[in-house]
Amino acid sequence: MKARLTLAGLVIVLAVAPAAAQWFDYPSKGIPRTPDGKADLNAPAPKTPDGKPDLSGICLGDQWSPAGRRPSPPGAGRGEGAPEMLPWAQKVFDERRANSLRDDPEARCMPQGVPKASTLPYPFEIVNAGNKVLILFEMYSLRRQIFTDGRELPKEYAQPSWMGYSVGKWDGDEFVVATAGINDQVWNIDLAGHPHSDALRITERYRRIDFGHMDVQVTIDDPKTYVKPWIMPMRYTLLPDTDLLEFVCEKNIDPQHMLGK
Amino acid sequence: MKTCLLIAILAAAASVAPVRAHHSFAAEYDSKKPVELKGTLIELEWVNPHAWIHMEVTDASGRVAKWDCELGSPNLLMRNGWRRDTLKKGDGIIVSGSQAKDGSNLANAKTVSLADGKRVFNAGSSGDPGTPGAPSN
Repeated sequence: MKARLTLAGLVIVLAVAPAAAQWFDYPSKGIPRTPDGKADLNAPAPKTPDGKPDLSGICLGDQWSPAGRRPSPPGAGRGEGAPEMLPWAQKVFDERRANSLRDDPEARCMPQGVPKASTLPYPFEIVNAGNKVLILFEMYSLRRQIFTDGRELPKEYAQPSWMGYSVGKWDGDEFVVATAGINDQVWNIDLAGHPHSDALRITERYRRIDFGHMDVQVTIDDPKTYVKPWIMPMRYTLLPDTDLLEFVCEKNIDPQHMLGK
Repeated sequence: MKTCLLIAILAAAASVAPVRAHHSFAAEYDSKKPVELKGTLIELEWVNPHAWIHMEVTDASGRVAKWDCELGSPNLLMRNGWRRDTLKKGDGIIVSGSQAKDGSNLANAKTVSLADGKRVFNAGSSGDPGTPGAPSN
C-alpha cells in the first residue's frame, strides 16, 4: 500500500512539475522491465562480457530502502551476531554506547571508512572500470577502488587510509574483496560503534542474486580487537531509475550541541 | 490545485523512508523533551549534512523567539518529495520534534505541517529504525 501511494505520489509529481524532474528520477536505459514498465528486480542477474555476474548498479541497504522488500538479515553486531570483544575493545564500545556515539567523527563530516560506508541510508554505485572496480558512495562523496589486476594486498601500508586498500577476485559467482590498511581515524566500523585496530582485515563476498538484489557477507577479522572473526550479513536492493547525488558535508552545526550522556 | 496535490504527495511520501542523521540522535537531542513549535518560517536552509528550518515562534505572552529545527539531508528530503522551495519565507508552519539536550532553541524535527493542519512531511533526521546495531535513539 505504501508502495502504491509512493508510486502514485511520484507519478503526480512528474505530472505536476515536469521541470523538477532531475537526475535522481531519470529512467535507466537498457534494464529489464515488467510489462507495466517498472524495473524487473527479479530478472536474472546480468553478466559482463567475460561471463561473470555484473555487479554494477546503484543500490541501497535493505534496512533503509523503500524498494527493499526482503526481510533484514539477523542483526549484525547485536544479539546473536554480536562479536566477542577483547577487554579493551569492550570497554571502548561500552563507553561509546553510554555516550550515544557522541564522538563519532562522521558527526564532524569525516569519512565513515570501510565497511561502515556501506551500511548507511544513502545509496552507493558499483562501477566496473577495467582492472579495478570502483564503489562510489553518495554520502560524503567517498569512493573505494578495488584492484582486480591480480595484485595481492601489500604487507605494509605507508599510508593507511579511511577507505583502505582493496583487491578483488572471483570465486565462482562471488566477488571476493580483501581490504586492509584502514587508518586509526576510522572510529567505528559499523553503526553500532565497534572499534578496530591496525590488524583489521575485511573480507567481503559480493553475490548478485538477481537483477535487483545483492548479498554481501562481510567478515571482520581483527585479532587485536575481537576474540574471533565475525560476520556482518548485508543485503542490498537495486535502485533503478535514479543516479547518485552530490553530498558535500558543507555546513555542520551539530557538534557544539552534542552533549552525549 | 497544484499546492493541494503537492501536499497530498508529500503526505504520501511521509511514510516511506526512515531517515537517519549523520550523527547520533541521542547525543544531541532529548526524546523526553518533545516540542511543538507554531510559527512563521524565516528560511528553509538547504544545506548538507542537514537542511534546517529557521522560524519565529511567538509564545502566549507575545514574546518572539527564534528556533532552529534540524531536518534530514537535502538528498534524503528530495528523494522523499521535498524540494528546496517546498516551504517559503513567511509560511505558517508547525514543527513537532525533540529539543536539544543543551536546552537551546534547537530541535530535531519529526514532522512539519502547514498551519492549516495538513501534514507535509516526516522530516526528522532522528531514529535509526531497522539499522543493524545502531542506537535507536
